[in-house]
Amino acid sequence: MATDFLNALILLANFVIVPGVAYGSQLALGALGITLVYAVLRFANFAHSDTMAFGTMSTVLITWWFQSLGISFGPLPTALLALPFAIIITIGVVLITDRTVYRFYRSKRSSPAIFVIASIGVMFLMNGLVRFIIGPDDQRFVDGERFIITARNFKKMTGLDEGLAIKVTQGLTIVIAVILVIALFWFLNRTRSGKAMRAYSDNEDLALLSGIDPERVVMVTWIITAALMTIAGTLYGLDKSFKPFTYFNLLLPFFAAAIVGGIGQPVGAIIGGYVIAFSEVSITYAYKKFLKYLVADDWAPEGLVQLLSTDYKFAVSFIILVVVLLIRPTGIIRGKVV
Amino acid sequence: MKKLLLASTVLAMTAGPALAEDIKVGVLLGYTGPIESLTPDMAASAELAFKEVNASGLLLGGKKIISVRADSTCVDSAAATTAAEKLVTSDKVAAIMGADCSGVTGAVANNVAVPNGVVMVSPSATSPGLSALKDKGYFFRTSPSDARQGEVLATVLQSRGIKEVAVTYTNNDYGKGLSDSFSNSFKAVGGKISITAAHEDGKADYSAEVGALSAAGSKHLAVFGYLDQGGKGIIQASLDSGAFDKFILADGMIGESLTKAIGKDLDGAIGTLPGGESKGATSFQSMAEKAGIKKGGPFTAESYDAGALIAFAMQAAGSADRAAIQSKLMMVANAPGEKIMPGELAKGLKILKDGGDIDYVGATSVEFNKIGEVLGTYKELEVKGGEFMTIKVH
Amino acid sequence: MNRPLRAVLSFSLIAVLFLFVGFGQSWSVALAIFNLCLISSVMALGVNIQWGYAGLFNVGTMGFAALGGVATVLVSKAPIPESWAAGGSDLMIAALLTLLTIGAVVFAYRRTSKGPLRNISITVIIVVGFAVVRPFYDPAVAAIESVNPAHAGYLGGLGLPILFSWIVGGLFAAGAAWIVGKIALGLRSDYLAIATLGIAEIVLAVVKNEDWLTRGVKNVSGLPRPVPYEIDLQASERFIGWVEWLYEGTLGAVSGADRSALLNDLVIESSSIFVKLCYSGLFAVVLIIVFMLSMRALNSPWGRMMRAIRDNETAANAMGKNITGRHLQVFIIGSAVVGVAGAMLTTLDGQLTPGSYNPLRFTFLIWVMVIVGGSGNNLGAVLGGFLIWFFWVEAEPVGVWLIDFATSWMDGSNPIRLHLMNTAQHMRLFTMGLVLLLVMRFNPGGILPETVHRATDQK
Repeated sequence: MATDFLNALILLANFVIVPGVAYGSQLALGALGITLVYAVLRFANFAHSDTMAFGTMSTVLITWWFQSLGISFGPLPTALLALPFAIIITIGVVLITDRTVYRFYRSKRSSPAIFVIASIGVMFLMNGLVRFIIGPDDQRFVDGERFIITARNFKKMTGLDEGLAIKVTQGLTIVIAVILVIALFWFLNRTRSGKAMRAYSDNEDLALLSGIDPERVVMVTWIITAALMTIAGTLYGLDKSFKPFTYFNLLLPFFAAAIVGGIGQPVGAIIGGYVIAFSEVSITYAYKKFLKYLVADDWAPEGLVQLLSTDYKFAVSFIILVVVLLIRPTGIIRGKVV
Repeated sequence: MKKLLLASTVLAMTAGPALAEDIKVGVLLGYTGPIESLTPDMAASAELAFKEVNASGLLLGGKKIISVRADSTCVDSAAATTAAEKLVTSDKVAAIMGADCSGVTGAVANNVAVPNGVVMVSPSATSPGLSALKDKGYFFRTSPSDARQGEVLATVLQSRGIKEVAVTYTNNDYGKGLSDSFSNSFKAVGGKISITAAHEDGKADYSAEVGALSAAGSKHLAVFGYLDQGGKGIIQASLDSGAFDKFILADGMIGESLTKAIGKDLDGAIGTLPGGESKGATSFQSMAEKAGIKKGGPFTAESYDAGALIAFAMQAAGSADRAAIQSKLMMVANAPGEKIMPGELAKGLKILKDGGDIDYVGATSVEFNKIGEVLGTYKELEVKGGEFMTIKVH
Repeated sequence: MNRPLRAVLSFSLIAVLFLFVGFGQSWSVALAIFNLCLISSVMALGVNIQWGYAGLFNVGTMGFAALGGVATVLVSKAPIPESWAAGGSDLMIAALLTLLTIGAVVFAYRRTSKGPLRNISITVIIVVGFAVVRPFYDPAVAAIESVNPAHAGYLGGLGLPILFSWIVGGLFAAGAAWIVGKIALGLRSDYLAIATLGIAEIVLAVVKNEDWLTRGVKNVSGLPRPVPYEIDLQASERFIGWVEWLYEGTLGAVSGADRSALLNDLVIESSSIFVKLCYSGLFAVVLIIVFMLSMRALNSPWGRMMRAIRDNETAANAMGKNITGRHLQVFIIGSAVVGVAGAMLTTLDGQLTPGSYNPLRFTFLIWVMVIVGGSGNNLGAVLGGFLIWFFWVEAEPVGVWLIDFATSWMDGSNPIRLHLMNTAQHMRLFTMGLVLLLVMRFNPGGILPETVHRATDQK
């Protein structure tokens, strides 16, 4: 009886909880970038995921170079060493984009829709650029150890029927996400630049009146966002693999996560990320085996006990988004008033 | 060698106005889109055949075949049709090697190839639906319809005593068609399908699909996807989470890059692949490897055969006229005649020039039925020691 | 330069470009591109109606176009009796129950006031509804899909002429737009963009996965045509006679076997051109009708009111105008136009391929058309449709040629050159982005900016 319960728990952990946490962290990091730009620069950045692809591409290229030089990082992926350099490159590209594209519209106080259309243009640019430089193929750049614990070893260690597998990249994602979030909150709450950003986001005119330099705030925002983008994209690419096409598809889940959590609020982005991830995973999971462990054999379900088929997994985030927009448009944590 | 091939394509495209001795053949594949990583090798295989023909100098008194590549995008029918239009009416190609994906192949055939009377030989469009195409005899395919592969797979599983499987397929007409065909055949021999779940290509996270698949309780997972795409992701996720370790693979999953990526954990996987262990297949593989084409790449053999058949049809017809090519394609592919293998294209050209008949066997044992389809022999494969080994031919 | 001159020049430029393609590549190609330009223009018009009249930022055009495509299948394909027999009755019951559930939700919404009671009761109704509908829906779907899956596996359609589907497509899109509008229209512009994008994805997911209705990713091919088939033309005596008459001079110069071969080539080419011209005619008629109706509406009191609301929403609100209602009107009309265009596109393709609907080509590209052509200006939207689609298609061969030219000094096997040649086709994405940004920066109104009518302009 107890083993059945444990088996059920491990089964759930293996197929729902661990993937949900890892995916949620990835979404959270992406949504954080979107929410920051939205809060400070006041527009939805459609170029976000393709810029992420650019950042990851830089990491990949530098990682390959490092690998060819024989540099490695032991059990951890070499990409972590390449990350700082890639971040610098991405920051450069993002700042140039802001200078050449968005600054003009800021000076003209254009409507948010104009910014969004401009970001669509940037999206096209990045999309084409990434494929042009590295090509559209799948690229693997992960090395080092793969698993913190494998399903097989777990089964051996505990003697259970169900195994639990945790990949190094999943562990890394969670750890780095936590570190980044803590760092970000420290920055926003404890430093002058962070406070200036929050002030500028809350009320632009008042902030300007207090002598805050808007261009500096914008620059800091882009720098942080670029770093977030590169790290998030690299973690994602390490966990799965790098393919430009995939990053484009992540744009909507990122937006869904940011909006559901409450756009403009960093805490909201994180909550939203996990909500979306867990919903996707738990709504489409087939609970047949899980229930079989828990209940008596006569009551065991015949069907799959699946709420929604995995065909609709992609649509789950948008359904949640639409529901949130209907019931509580400002999101879980009251985001920017729309 | 690969660079040389690419260079010759480059030179071909820069040639500007083609010389009078040049015949253009369209190579219409999805160079952007969901199988963009497979198509360069497929195109290179067809161009390998062209190169062999050109090097012999025997085609129609010394004419050379120039390959004109165009992007079918695999999913955008409008773009594919426009690209095909350009090939047919502007580049005035004599025939088309393509398209790759079943959806756009149907659109191109219906809207461009058949109305303009241009032969299409597809190396990879396997949807059973294409058998019903009203093509006036202008559509051929060197890869068999998945209606047959489903049967073969069911037979293979039955012979190994596997009674229950979970099925996942890539969410397009190839995957769905194969999954349906397999389900019907497997159930007909008493098998049970515990769950059928689609997966989208181009995503990186398949843990949800794998979770649902494993919850159904089967020990075996049939993966009808692409080895560089979702199919690999599913296998990886299954192994990582401990959901499955016994896999059944269809043609789109067979290839070296999968065994390299997965490694020893793939041992014991069973699969089917069009083709045989014929001499032709093996000799093509070594030719391809020398030319820098990934060994065992999906549909490379079929692409080579498609290219060769087009060249032979021209030679048999004595001209590069489109209708003439159509009239002779069946003949050069089918018995009777002197059997021609890959690498023997010059020999075949000479026989045709002297008025004889050939039966092109090629890398995939080509033999067309009434509607221009190959019945196909399938290899039953098993992964042993990290490599695909052929067990039997069906 | 003044507006009418600009318009004339721009369209002349496009005509010249088409002539280039016609002479340089072939007339068939030029016409093929022309037809797609016509369809794109209609789509751009639809988007422009929403953006130009009301400032609505709809990024969900993909979904409406897909609905238009579904309409063609449902209208023009013959019904499949076996499928109806297998699952029809269960499906009807499921549909009825779904309607009841929706009715119950609306009832609960109206009867309760905002608060936890409303939310809970609606949630309960939906859950119960779900549980009640599934036992009928699932077996019905399974039964329908197992009827001859390779060639059918769905319900079929109504077997009516395909031209009806263009109107039906518009109606489907209008219906969907009503639902979408009710949900999303109160939101700020960029929020609306995300919401519409998400809803389009949901619509597409349904079209892709509900095989019993649309065959999903197995595609529906062989849709009946509103124009003759080239094969039939090539076999028709009358048509051959026309071709002979048209090309009398060229044919007179040759004789015997050469002449019949030449005639054969000419007949094939002419049949292809003739069919395309037929499509062009149909599409042009639709474009002109939609365009004239839009211009009529623009210059009517209704149009002026819409733009006044767009320009100063607070004032309009203060005046008591029902802004959300007006926006909904415009949203529905614009989406209906996109639906019609979607039906036209599927008719031209002759098949419904759900997998081919992607946001890049159907949504973002249309927006580039509207912005570049002339944001808020109907004629500009049409111009944008032509120009941008033309460049999108021609960018691949031209890009390859350019790279080839630019690197011609390099050795043929230079890896950089080879890599560039291989990835040249991705340049078109890059170029599109660049064009959009440049136009927005230096010519934000687009090529044909919106004409602003002020009282002081009246003479």
